[in-house]
Amino acid sequence: MKIRFSSVLLFALFACNNHQHTLPILGNRDTKTTVVDGKTQVDTIYQTIPPFSLVNQDGDSITQESVKGKMYVADFFFTSCPTICPIMKKQLIRVFEKYKGDANFMILSHTIDPEFDTLALLKDYATRLGSDGKQWMFLRGNREQTYELAEKGYYATAMADSTEPGGYVHSGGLILVDPMGRVRGVYNGTDAAEVDHLLEDIDLLKNEK
Amino acid sequence: MKNKLFGFLAAAFLIFSCSDSELVNMKELSNGAKLYKNNCANCHQEDGSGLANLIPPLYHSDYLSKNASKLPCIITQGLGGEISVNGKTYTMRMAAIQHLNKEELNDLCTYVLQKFPEQAIQPEVWKKSPADSCW
Repeated sequence: MKIRFSSVLLFALFACNNHQHTLPILGNRDTKTTVVDGKTQVDTIYQTIPPFSLVNQDGDSITQESVKGKMYVADFFFTSCPTICPIMKKQLIRVFEKYKGDANFMILSHTIDPEFDTLALLKDYATRLGSDGKQWMFLRGNREQTYELAEKGYYATAMADSTEPGGYVHSGGLILVDPMGRVRGVYNGTDAAEVDHLLEDIDLLKNEK
Repeated sequence: MKNKLFGFLAAAFLIFSCSDSELVNMKELSNGAKLYKNNCANCHQEDGSGLANLIPPLYHSDYLSKNASKLPCIITQGLGGEISVNGKTYTMRMAAIQHLNKEELNDLCTYVLQKFPEQAIQPEVWKKSPADSCW
């Protein structure tokens, strides 16, 4: 009896190995029908992060071209935030430390208080957090643009099924975006266990072909 | 059965061996822990480790030990300007926490100064200073 149970367990173990776990692709999807050589092809079009134009802590212009072909984690914060931001940043340091020097991985932290968070302040904040300013960037745009990017770009994609309006901007979410600009997961940046999960998912995404 | 009886006796012994002042201290500490979590832990983190070079640690902080008697003022008035903690300088302004009553301030200071310094600082030490105008 015991033997039979262990063999079932063994089987279950190996069965899992055969089945490679992949991350879901979040957001709405559409189809595109094309005719190639007389054959009809239907392709799925996934929702991606819309184009953006922001400035980083060093005054460099950062657009979707800057992250082309790279996976990245995005978050929204402000430097004077006394509530969840410092906890999120503590967790983001973990993410940064793990993938430091990886040319295909970035972190984009967007300030939602651009009036107070000047470039000089962001630069100081970045340096004090231990960021190199290249792999982990602190981005600033005008307020409307940033909110629109957050709500209609990142969070709308991440939570397309949710009926809740707005309010995500300061939700503590860390959003994982793949090299094709598609959202692959949202994690609570104030919860160490969820960030463990994010780290596992980044590894999974790295192995994706 | 013997084990149970022994356990009961041991528990009773532990409870009765606490003096009144120790029980008061335990109550202060547990209130203080709650207040710390709600008012301080977001920035200084639950374990008191702070945040990189941005927010100073409380855990084993030389600044905290040296300025223990100023803690009530720091909490209620906030702190600005550059300070040096364990060899690093910090410049971010700490916001004042003004909604605590006297008892809460006492419990919070008691907790912070027992939990985080390398050697716990007792109330009779940090309450002694005449500089406690915030008290």
